[in-house]
Amino acid sequence: MQSPFASGVPIEGDHITAKSVGEPVALADGVAFLDGIQRFAVEGHLGVTPIVRGYVAAAVLRRQREQLSAVSHETEEFVVAPLARLQPDQRRMLDTIPLPLYDCSNGERAHPLVDVQLAAVSVEHRRDEIERRLASQYLRDAPDEWLVIDGAIGGVIAETSPPPKVIGVIKSHDTQFLEGNDLTTALTLSAGQRSSVFSRRVGQRGQVYTWYLRLWPWEDHDLLYGLVRIERAAADGVVAEATDVSRWLMAERAPLAAPDERWDRLLYPMRRVEAYLQARAGRWW
Amino acid sequence: MIQRGDERPPIGRVVATETLPASPHQFHFWTATSTSVGIGAIVRVDAPTGRTAYAVVVDGRAYSDLATPLHDVIAAEGDPAGAAPPTQRAEVRLWTAAVLRQVPEEPVQPVPIQDVHLASEADVEMALRMDAYARAEPSRAIPVGVYRAGELRAPVSLDTDFLLGPESAHLNISGVSGLATKTSAVLFFLASIFQHFPPRKGSVAAVCFNVKGPDLGFLDQPAQLSDEDRDVYEVLGLDPRPFDGVRYFAPFKPDGVNLNTLRSHPDLLSAVQPLVWGLREVLDYHEVLLNRDDIDAKADAFLDFLADRVVEKEFRDEWGNTHRVRSFGELERLFRAIFDGLEGQGRSDIWRTHHIATIRKVRNRLLNISTRCRGLVTDDGSASDLPFGAFEDRGVYVIDVAGMDQLGQDLVFTRIVSKLREHLERRDLGVDHVIVFVDELNKYAPGDGPDSYVRKMLLDISERGRYLGLVLFAAQQFRSQVHRRVVGNAGTMVFGRMDMDELATPGYQVLSPATRIKLATLPKGELMVRHPHFTQPVFVRFPHPPVLTGPEGLDRFPPSADVPFDEAVVRQLASLDRSIVATRIKDLIADRSEDDVRRALLVTRRVKPDDVTAYFAATLGPAVRRERLPDPARATPALRAVEDPYAP
Repeated sequence: MQSPFASGVPIEGDHITAKSVGEPVALADGVAFLDGIQRFAVEGHLGVTPIVRGYVAAAVLRRQREQLSAVSHETEEFVVAPLARLQPDQRRMLDTIPLPLYDCSNGERAHPLVDVQLAAVSVEHRRDEIERRLASQYLRDAPDEWLVIDGAIGGVIAETSPPPKVIGVIKSHDTQFLEGNDLTTALTLSAGQRSSVFSRRVGQRGQVYTWYLRLWPWEDHDLLYGLVRIERAAADGVVAEATDVSRWLMAERAPLAAPDERWDRLLYPMRRVEAYLQARAGRWW
Repeated sequence: MIQRGDERPPIGRVVATETLPASPHQFHFWTATSTSVGIGAIVRVDAPTGRTAYAVVVDGRAYSDLATPLHDVIAAEGDPAGAAPPTQRAEVRLWTAAVLRQVPEEPVQPVPIQDVHLASEADVEMALRMDAYARAEPSRAIPVGVYRAGELRAPVSLDTDFLLGPESAHLNISGVSGLATKTSAVLFFLASIFQHFPPRKGSVAAVCFNVKGPDLGFLDQPAQLSDEDRDVYEVLGLDPRPFDGVRYFAPFKPDGVNLNTLRSHPDLLSAVQPLVWGLREVLDYHEVLLNRDDIDAKADAFLDFLADRVVEKEFRDEWGNTHRVRSFGELERLFRAIFDGLEGQGRSDIWRTHHIATIRKVRNRLLNISTRCRGLVTDDGSASDLPFGAFEDRGVYVIDVAGMDQLGQDLVFTRIVSKLREHLERRDLGVDHVIVFVDELNKYAPGDGPDSYVRKMLLDISERGRYLGLVLFAAQQFRSQVHRRVVGNAGTMVFGRMDMDELATPGYQVLSPATRIKLATLPKGELMVRHPHFTQPVFVRFPHPPVLTGPEGLDRFPPSADVPFDEAVVRQLASLDRSIVATRIKDLIADRSEDDVRRALLVTRRVKPDDVTAYFAATLGPAVRRERLPDPARATPALRAVEDPYAP
């Protein structure tokens, strides 16, 4: 299990402070949104070994004159199984399936539940992979435009560094990078406030700059209501742009992403990317 | 062989869900938000199996992914004037289409879930089943307008067999007043019929009743057409020319010499003939003029006696007098003789089984007709009538009753239509088909109110006319107020812009709300057409008729003011021959009785001689010196008081 804690180092000042971002300002054109989806199902068993069928998809929707339209889209359907544990005849049978085959072996002992969990991780990796590809392609094709990614940007900057116009919007807060007063400040921001910028590590050598932004008032809700964490590649000028980026992310609160349950943190264009992917997923949805 | 339309990209896609399924008669499809599809658009859906469905769009909806209006309020933080959101919500344009036709027709199946194409010209022909009669040899198609969608202009035609019989017949057009749509449409339809009526079906003429203003007063005058109108004529294969053989008939005004019509400009007067009837013409239609509550069976019997035994026959009374009654004046002399005779006998209230009170009642009513309908009915028996028996192919006969009161209009309408029916039954009218155009149908055939002779006759035409070749083209503002059997027998229904109250009546509930809204906002020149071959109403655009409309005609040919008797006589004779000398005519009629002059004028107009002045003078005859009778005719003595045995 991934640790719920990681380290974060304040960049904008010595400790985390709350900063009002001011009036929202919309970023009209020249921005695109990337998201991905994943689905899997246990198709059957060879002996006690689960055979998992996976589907992943990702798309980039670009905004032009307030309208979103798809500029790239990629899907992949595949089979995941602990290949090392299969008998030769079982493997030959799997090879007859006209889909890519991925391994999720982890030891010689069989455990039906763990094997499925491992297959799910493989599916997630496949989704990360096509998201990375689409992001790289978009950044190559439109280097002057913003690309907003649903989630962390760590995987993307690994291949396209430095990517100054990539923004990650993280809705889940499973990992906490701050502690003490810094954490309290970050998680009790008022609507329209951002935290000061701090950095987090990515892999062995990389780092990203990140900050919290409260989109909607959290009073009468839980601490994480309306709270997103923004990530950008660690580069010069990123700290100076944090407020401007926060202002136009505040403007993205409209239209509301409702009725999605995550509407307090989900940007409407991201919901549109999801809807686009789900509509195209056919029987997988 | 199905002639497919062109292969342009689809404009939409059929969608079907459990709650919004596609059926054999209706389906739904979506389009881009920027689309040329609208209510009334005709679309085509092809299935890979070879099935093709044609449909007309009857409803449209647009909605976004907004789950509740509250979400919009929250996003705008309660301020409608706040900054516009950077992204527009996803929006769908969802259309409902009613199936016009499926090919093949059997088996009847739901519309395939496939791409949707805008109909091409060939598709429109297939969708409206026009291929059955437009491509027949010879064609039976009567163009009535163009279907428009984007750049497409596709002709829409009606089937002659279903417009003028014998399969079905009659056309009814509804629409609010003031847009000139109804009259213009009918004139355009007539022009189209006259140019496209198949020769093998014989000849056709039109009798139009001008019931208000100058509506039909200038059918022989060419219109100023716009380029767009000319394009429509070209698409429809029509020559935009006015009617060739138009003849106008109008009664006189009460002065008996000025015509009661707005078409009185000197340049146009030659085509106007007086409509004048005498006793014989009126007596057969006394039911129109006499109040049924007033005239009972005994009065009817006496009227029949007069019609069968007296009028235009030599009749000898009991007192040795011989009568030949041909006019109201001579009828009055007969009545006077009867009353005098009975008075002289002094013993009886009965004459030939008719009670004297009945005779007096009939006399009062009949002789009053020439007073009430002065200008149309004359005392002296002279008549000028439509050329029954000599109707001409493609002739238009306009009867201008706009200046008459309701009673006179009823009489004119009843008699002319009855005569048309009689002649068509005998097949001696001169043409095989007659289209009778009546405006303000709700006045002549109302859905409620007492039964009238006119309404009965309209019902008769509606139900039997198509077998005779007598076709009713009728117009009214409110279809719901017309007798439903008259409306229901119309094979073709046409609708211009409609009043919302009228659209709320039950007769329009078969239309979708969007179609009703479109009807309520139709621009001038657009119509919704229902025809037996069209399984759904279709919207078409028709051009300005090829003739001047009433207001245009009045601008160009302002009516002349009424003139004194002698001037009016000169003007009417001048319409026959512009070279006549006014002073010569005035000398001829000086000191002559006006009745004599009117009679000579009518005969001259009817004959249209080469030498008008000479013929008029000969018809007028030599002047007879007026003599004073030694014993002036006695007035009819008052009856002695009698008890009316028929009084209630």
